[in-house]
Amino acid sequence: MKVTRRDLLVWSAGAAAGLLVTPVPWKLLDDTSIWSQNWPWIPQPARGPVEVKLSACTLCPNGCGMKVKMAAGWPVGVAGVRSHPVSKGALCPLGFGAHQLNWHPQRLRVARHGASPSTWNEARTAFVKACSEGPVVVIDGYPGRAASSLLQTFAQKHGGSYRAVLGSETRALASYETWSGVSASALGYDLENAQTIVSFGAPLLDGWGTPGRFTRLWAECAAGKTDPQLRLIQVESPLSRTAARAWQWVPVRAGTEAAVAAGVARVLLEERLVSARGPMPPLTLSEAAAQAGLPTDAIRELARTVVARTPTVAIANDDNPAIAALNVVLGSVGARAGIVRRSKRAEPYVSADAAIPNARTVLIDASVPWGFTPQTDAEVFRFAAWDGGSNRPDWLLPAPGFLEELTDVPTAPTSAVETYAVAPSLVKAQHEVQSAAQFLGSTDPTLSTAEKIIHSRCEDLFHGRAGTLLGQEETPLAKLASAQKLEEQLWKGAVWVGEEPHPASLRCELKEWPTAVPSAHAESWSTAWPAPVLPPLATKLYRESTLREAPEKRTA
Amino acid sequence: MSARYGMVIDLDRCTGCGSCMMACAAENNVPSLPQATARTGLTPLLVRKVSNGMDGVARRETFIPIMCMHCEHDTPCVKVCPQQAVEVDKATGIVMQMPQRCLGCRYCMTACPYHARYFNWWDPSWPAGMEKSLNPGVASRMRGVVEKCNMCHARLHSVKEKAAAAGKREIDPADYIPACVESCPTGAIRFGNLADKNDPAAQDAHSPDAFRLLARIGTEPKVYYKSKEAWVRGLAESHSGPGPEINRAEVMGSEVQDG
Repeated sequence: MKVTRRDLLVWSAGAAAGLLVTPVPWKLLDDTSIWSQNWPWIPQPARGPVEVKLSACTLCPNGCGMKVKMAAGWPVGVAGVRSHPVSKGALCPLGFGAHQLNWHPQRLRVARHGASPSTWNEARTAFVKACSEGPVVVIDGYPGRAASSLLQTFAQKHGGSYRAVLGSETRALASYETWSGVSASALGYDLENAQTIVSFGAPLLDGWGTPGRFTRLWAECAAGKTDPQLRLIQVESPLSRTAARAWQWVPVRAGTEAAVAAGVARVLLEERLVSARGPMPPLTLSEAAAQAGLPTDAIRELARTVVARTPTVAIANDDNPAIAALNVVLGSVGARAGIVRRSKRAEPYVSADAAIPNARTVLIDASVPWGFTPQTDAEVFRFAAWDGGSNRPDWLLPAPGFLEELTDVPTAPTSAVETYAVAPSLVKAQHEVQSAAQFLGSTDPTLSTAEKIIHSRCEDLFHGRAGTLLGQEETPLAKLASAQKLEEQLWKGAVWVGEEPHPASLRCELKEWPTAVPSAHAESWSTAWPAPVLPPLATKLYRESTLREAPEKRTA
Repeated sequence: MSARYGMVIDLDRCTGCGSCMMACAAENNVPSLPQATARTGLTPLLVRKVSNGMDGVARRETFIPIMCMHCEHDTPCVKVCPQQAVEVDKATGIVMQMPQRCLGCRYCMTACPYHARYFNWWDPSWPAGMEKSLNPGVASRMRGVVEKCNMCHARLHSVKEKAAAAGKREIDPADYIPACVESCPTGAIRFGNLADKNDPAAQDAHSPDAFRLLARIGTEPKVYYKSKEAWVRGLAESHSGPGPEINRAEVMGSEVQDG
């Protein structure tokens, strides 16, 4: 048979047409597609045994209960713990990306002296020399921990002082400390029993206090209800997230919250709407209204609403004595559903905001928010897990990152009950890191260790026989067999919860209406974030969506 | 018996915190790339802020999480996909996206009435070492494919494995919880089997306050929303409902510009 050119063409055309009705081209297309999805340079997750460990978030002093999903020994995801007595299963949005922070490009991997790399030995030698030449001031951003106790002891032993950088929620309790003599760190808000909450600009639904505590309470008692069991009144200039969700939003001129509080207090006292007694504000109602940009009737109406359903508590965004005085007038200080004393033990802290004179050395713990700069000429040794770039201290020393350090978790700043938990170290740091407490321990061998202090705190708790241990089940501490059992449970993620506060243990004497100028700090979830960097996934919130404005001076 | 997994999101409880977006991205190994913007980033779950269009004290705002609506009927993305890379799972009702089959033609993105699909513009990458933090249950996807919410299908797989290991044929519904539902601090998202009339989510979906976005086009989404406020319910059909005029573009996202 002779094959012609024409036969060849016909055969080729037939084969091409026939191929189209077979699965071959589609299968090839599919295989090419699959092949091209699996390039070797595409990162794939690590394989290994998966387990879930209970811990607590230690990135800020709220200590939210945290479930950490671990794979091949690395944290691969976090979630809240629903049974946690304070955080109630919630984390802040940034917490959900916290497990990626340890690999952030700005992770501090070596000690730095000025702009140059240095070593731990050089840092230690310089610190010991500086301490021998004059007083040392130690600054802590998360007081109450075992590590804080070490920092405090070191400062006292070396003739120095210990200072704390407190969050806006604790600063908002400063006036009660002045008037009652009880440390602000021992005070909290009994929100769960309140029926009306008047917030003067506090971002109650946007990162105030322990994120889950108020949001869960609000969701259960107020959200979407026209006549809610809990009335949230937001006095604030912009329509914030909290204002948008409040039962009532009272828009006022920015910075006039103190005047509104004075106006409300005046109406309450003049119209005898409250049984508690308090000093009459010097501001007249019309003056308060003019400052706030409201009609006088609006303030009068607000005052009546505030006491229409009691108990009521007022919450300030920061230290604002007029709002604290309003609580005194409302009878909400040392009362159920108001400001309560949760602990007998806590001692007052000296604020680090003031200037630090006559110090030779300042040591700053990694828990201090990166934005804080001490007012001092002393040589500054700063610990940080991430390098924020600006605010460069004399010495910048790499600290443990997320879940890389054993720490205990004392009571959250706004909580009405005492709690205690332990966050074990779940991850080994990939480079040489030291916490400030470990560093001080290496310069002074007589100092104890965080582990020993946690152990002794567990023994103290056990011998106190008060409160309950919330773990797999709820166990009254009095029924626990030994301090060792308590410690074991805490290491596994259980939380000790103290007894309900006795409101009457807090008394405030206020002779005249305070005239002190309120603090001008304004914090939100992003500005209060202590680390100089955000989790990379935070870009989903502010760059890959229009949900939030990008936080200033922060990098992801 | 086949399930019909769906969600009911109580918008009156949503504070727009964004925890669900973060938890979704972490669970599904969604990369965060420096070049990504609001137009080009991957956000399988995206929370949008919407308002009633008024000013001053009359202004009201709410937040609305938008994700794949898992349309049950005439699923638009399924109909247009030339690669059969999208299908409605008969056993669960979940609209599945198979990146291995996807050619990146983006017909599905055009067809989706909810703008809930995202194109993967770049190879996924993470800073050195950060790949260790990836969820081992979810493979990272290649550049050039379309992505969307799959109701954390990897979690369903692992729950099924757990049930099978225990010798059970059915999963415990309480075990299967998508990341967004788990992360919501106010419990605004209720997830469940809409085919089971005893399921709280199914009961919520029949509440008089419940609505679905663009219900009139008949795609039968399995994501419901709920609000007691009329202007919020009006978001469902934009200008057709009573109450103040709502900017539909605000809800569906065409206002998003390059950031």
